[in-house]
Amino acid sequence: MSDKIVLMVFEVVGSGICVSSDDGQKVHDQIATALRQGKYVRLSFLNVESLTSAFLNASIGQLYGEFSEETIKLSLSVSDMEKNDLALLKRVVEMAKEYFRNPERFKKAREEALEERDAD
Amino acid sequence: MKIFLQEIRSDYEGFSVLVSLAAETRECDFDDIEIDMSRATWIDANMCAPFGAILYKVGRGLNTVRLTNIPVDVETILSRNGFLCNYGWSRRTDTYGSTIEYKRFDPKDDRYFADYIEKYMIGKGIPDMSFELLKKFRESIYEIFSNAVIHSRTKQGIFSCGQYYHKKHLFEFSIADLGIGIRQNIQRRFGLDLPAADAINWALEGHNTTKTGPIPGGLGLKLLREFIVRNEGRIQIVSDKGYWELSGEKVTTRSFSDPFPGTVVNIVINTGDTKSYCLASEVNPEEIF
Repeated sequence: MSDKIVLMVFEVVGSGICVSSDDGQKVHDQIATALRQGKYVRLSFLNVESLTSAFLNASIGQLYGEFSEETIKLSLSVSDMEKNDLALLKRVVEMAKEYFRNPERFKKAREEALEERDAD
Repeated sequence: MKIFLQEIRSDYEGFSVLVSLAAETRECDFDDIEIDMSRATWIDANMCAPFGAILYKVGRGLNTVRLTNIPVDVETILSRNGFLCNYGWSRRTDTYGSTIEYKRFDPKDDRYFADYIEKYMIGKGIPDMSFELLKKFRESIYEIFSNAVIHSRTKQGIFSCGQYYHKKHLFEFSIADLGIGIRQNIQRRFGLDLPAADAINWALEGHNTTKTGPIPGGLGLKLLREFIVRNEGRIQIVSDKGYWELSGEKVTTRSFSDPFPGTVVNIVINTGDTKSYCLASEVNPEEIF
């Protein structure tokens, strides 16, 4: 079994138009499952044509509610992203970190994530 | 009941006409409502989105809506973009390929919305913009739709319509929802009772967001604002009794005497923009997280 996983956003969403929160959730769920197993994830944006903050918040920003900044820094990377999309992602990540720095919010998000995992 | 409609342009006065229409029809149930359009000598095509939203809401009250005495020019516009198909007219061919048709979506229809937008982005007379400008333009529209999906809590749908004006190099696009509005969203989330126009302003500032729950947010409208400023376009946001407009870098806010039953975001893109939208500096992917 490999410790490194490559996730193709295009393949998970089924399209290069990656704009909805629901599609972002699908990507998030894959990443989160891998991170919980201690895997390293490379998220490839090859062939992705359009991105929104809503998609990136759901797919990646949301991770900061369950995992520490340290874990995400060590275990997640992105590739094949255009310059402007990288800049957008950086802003999404900064806002997500700020969003979850509220300890109550972080605690609640973590509890919800654990409940969902147990329900699956 | 008979209501006379005035012209509806993409401005405060145009939205005032729609707000009055919403107020006059708010209490109607099982009524026959004739909207006499003899005085509506012009309707900006994109304004079909908020106009259609109000008529849809009226229809949900099991009222019969009839549009009568439509001036010829207006009828041409509204049948080319499919709006009048909802009221008994046939569709006319969009000869110049310059319309994005009027359509209603449910919040779960992201994929259909994406297909609808992509259909009009390639060829079809929509102008050749630079790759970067086109990408920014598309993503702005998606951000607006996503915003409506995430924040509006609408059960009655999201309405969109657009129009390209060749000679003026302008593209106007509107998305309207029949949701709870920005003011009420803020009130519920923070207990803050802001005047409606101030509420819109709040939503566009800094890191303000009403987002709660496991998915963060709050960037969508700010990104849109940044793009429109650089593009020298225009944004109008109408929500509840508030009107907010950004043109150049100038913000204007006003109030209506009655509320719009939801939120409208209208953007005007300058398609003749030749500025680069490519970032000058590199963002290191190793330093994203």
